[in-house]
Amino acid sequence: MMSMKRGRLLTLIVVACLVSGLIMTGCSKPPAGNDASNQPQAQEKVLVLGYDRDAETLNHIKTSWYSDALIYIYDRLVSRDYNFNYKPGLAESWDTSEDGLTWTFHLRKGVKFHDGKPFTAEDVKFTIDTIKNPDTASPFAGDLAAINEVVVKDDHTVDIILDYPFPNLLFNLSNTAAGIVNKEAYEKYGDEYGSKYVVGTGPYIFQEWVKGDKIVLVKNPEYNWGPEWMSNRGPALIDKIVLRTIPEENSRLMELETGGVHILRNVPAAFVEKLENNAEIEIVKGSATKLGYLAYACDKKPFTDVRVRRAINHAINREEIIQYVFRGVGQPAYGYLPPALQDEYYQDSEKDAYKYDPDKAKQLLAEAGFAGGLKLTLSSDNSTENSRLAQVLQNQLKQVGIDVEIQLYDSSSYTAMLKEGKQELFIRLYSWPNADILDWFLLSSQSPYPNHSRWVDNKTDEMLTKAARMATWEERAEEYKKAQKYLIEQAVWCPIYVPDNLIAVRKEVKNFKYHPWMLQYNDGFDLEVK
Amino acid sequence: MGVQALLKYIIKKIVTMIPVLVCITVIVFLILHLAPGDPVDLIVGPNVTPEVYENIRNKLGLDQPLTVQYFKFMSNLLRGDLGTSILQQRPVSEIIIERFPVTLELGLSALVISFAIALPAGIIAAVNRNSWPDYACMSGALVGMSMPTFWFGILLMYFFAYKMRLFPISGYGTLRHLVLPAFAMGLTDAAVTARMVRSSMLEVIRQDYIRTARSKGLAEKVVINQHALKNALIPIVTLLGLRMGWLLGGSVILENVFSRPGLGRLIVDSILARDYPVVQGAMIVLTASIMAGNILADILYAVVDPRIKYN
Repeated sequence: MMSMKRGRLLTLIVVACLVSGLIMTGCSKPPAGNDASNQPQAQEKVLVLGYDRDAETLNHIKTSWYSDALIYIYDRLVSRDYNFNYKPGLAESWDTSEDGLTWTFHLRKGVKFHDGKPFTAEDVKFTIDTIKNPDTASPFAGDLAAINEVVVKDDHTVDIILDYPFPNLLFNLSNTAAGIVNKEAYEKYGDEYGSKYVVGTGPYIFQEWVKGDKIVLVKNPEYNWGPEWMSNRGPALIDKIVLRTIPEENSRLMELETGGVHILRNVPAAFVEKLENNAEIEIVKGSATKLGYLAYACDKKPFTDVRVRRAINHAINREEIIQYVFRGVGQPAYGYLPPALQDEYYQDSEKDAYKYDPDKAKQLLAEAGFAGGLKLTLSSDNSTENSRLAQVLQNQLKQVGIDVEIQLYDSSSYTAMLKEGKQELFIRLYSWPNADILDWFLLSSQSPYPNHSRWVDNKTDEMLTKAARMATWEERAEEYKKAQKYLIEQAVWCPIYVPDNLIAVRKEVKNFKYHPWMLQYNDGFDLEVK
Repeated sequence: MGVQALLKYIIKKIVTMIPVLVCITVIVFLILHLAPGDPVDLIVGPNVTPEVYENIRNKLGLDQPLTVQYFKFMSNLLRGDLGTSILQQRPVSEIIIERFPVTLELGLSALVISFAIALPAGIIAAVNRNSWPDYACMSGALVGMSMPTFWFGILLMYFFAYKMRLFPISGYGTLRHLVLPAFAMGLTDAAVTARMVRSSMLEVIRQDYIRTARSKGLAEKVVINQHALKNALIPIVTLLGLRMGWLLGGSVILENVFSRPGLGRLIVDSILARDYPVVQGAMIVLTASIMAGNILADILYAVVDPRIKYN
């Protein structure tokens, strides 16, 4: 039997547990005023953006997952306007030597980093040298491989010396990864740079990062060096930007509908109709620089035979896929680049490509000796859209006598499988706003990965290498077009669709304009405060 | 039973924990490294030259044999260093310390809600056995048990945050952010606990000393509160210790639904990204907490029940 003393002790324990629970909950509550993500302070204009994943680090030199916060914190030497044109950024102008090997950049004066240090040519040299230094192990190093040396001429002039002509330098220097860092701050903070400290010259200053939850940026009041093409060159009209991470799709959309988030990028096509019926929300659409395609291991039978590759291209009904998988959002793809890359896209892609024609497909398969049909595997990552795409493709291929077994992978296992080379047919989607994506995926030296279609072909190598090293942007584009024509002829892939970028914007946001990369920084973008 | 015996017992328990922890590190390490996938792919993205790729693998030591990697990891662990996250490039211990309170906050508040509801409900049901209060409590419990926590969470979110706008949809930081996930987790757990309280109470009520108390002429209220409840709570209190694992690991899906940056979400994200050091570190912390919970359960058991002796 239990004594009274024991009994009191017992009660005490239960009460202690309850109380400690309450205290813990109370204690971990951060100080008041931290609730900015949901309830903007009076008069202060707080823009909240929603994302499905958080940044890993805000040191853009050491990651390939670029948080949009980097767009706001940093400036780049070169900017891109609404029409994909390269325009001055931190560099006011630039000129190229006759042989295309020396690029001289004239830097803007009066620009200051967030810590007050003036921006100079030394910072440009430091940024590029750090990216190129093998000890940094920057994923972006390969993109700057053409650069031999960066020479500081004076505080506001810098020469970039190349090993070979490389007109794509402008693209690479306008990338998020090429944001100019502050030499002193970067060296001073060492490993804590990108996590606790981030210093740029951009329109917004890094304030706080609650990992997994939100990144908070505040307006840079001194900013007045925005690119000329912006209607507001600075300072920004919005006081604060909060970038929230909301991993669950449904939660993200509910946040948008209740005003917890003002702008959502990458809205799933399935939600567009619902959001379009909401008077508080506008859907902004634009053609994405993405391409979804069906690929195959070109070094394996039966894909070594161009007739089989063409048959697969003829077997695919792209319109049906857009309708049933993507609910009518997006365009059918025929070429190897997204048409939004106006300069480089081969305009006759559709004319040259293989029309949907199951009979022609069967005939080609019969010619190749597969009149009795084929049994193959079709691999895909397990995302909702790609799993559905795989099913529709399975059905369409069946119509021409190709039986496929679908194999789904999580994204890490999928990459591992492609590296091992177990794939036959497989689905991919790339997202990249430049023709050099063809080099990544189709040069022989890139096989077996990232050239996972295992396309090893001398002529392709010659054409792509020549294109990349032409002296001017225009000549380069022409050569890339020739390469695309050749790839269509060889049916190296089966291009399927170009998705639309779907951005949902709440009515409080004023003057929002679609920019292919959201690179408009502070371009006249305002927020109505309740 | 002396305090010394209990202390001895605890020390013995802690010593036996060590081999278990070592086994866990081996298992977690092997499963992670043998699973297909490569963290470097996620750092570099698809558009990278093989030289850069190899260079990064080399810097991270991922090109070394597994045994070498494991011993490096263990020797760092013994020095109290959980390593550096591959993706975030900062110390794993720092990352875990950031995430731990978020999960603990939700777990503890859910526990409070759960017991605050389950205790009265279970007692009322047991005392009024086979009458309407019993049926009401137990059918409520059945509903709670049958409903997945995340689904209940989405329902709460839909009605209280989306429709009525009483609480924020998701996020972390204030008490208002905590209410919905805490209730989602607490209420579904209360269902299980209430059933246990009820059955434990019923067992005690049937015992002789309760009959004695009643025949002494004590008021029913006194019989229940003073005599029955104390003994009925013994198994429930020890359950508190065992709940440690649930507190920390039980909220993975809720953390996703309500975008709470907790430990569970960290583990899932890191597994998907193959961020080996983070998964290893978090698993070690989790295992150690569960073991600590078990020891706590043992201690509580001895404290609340004098019949238990540790020798």
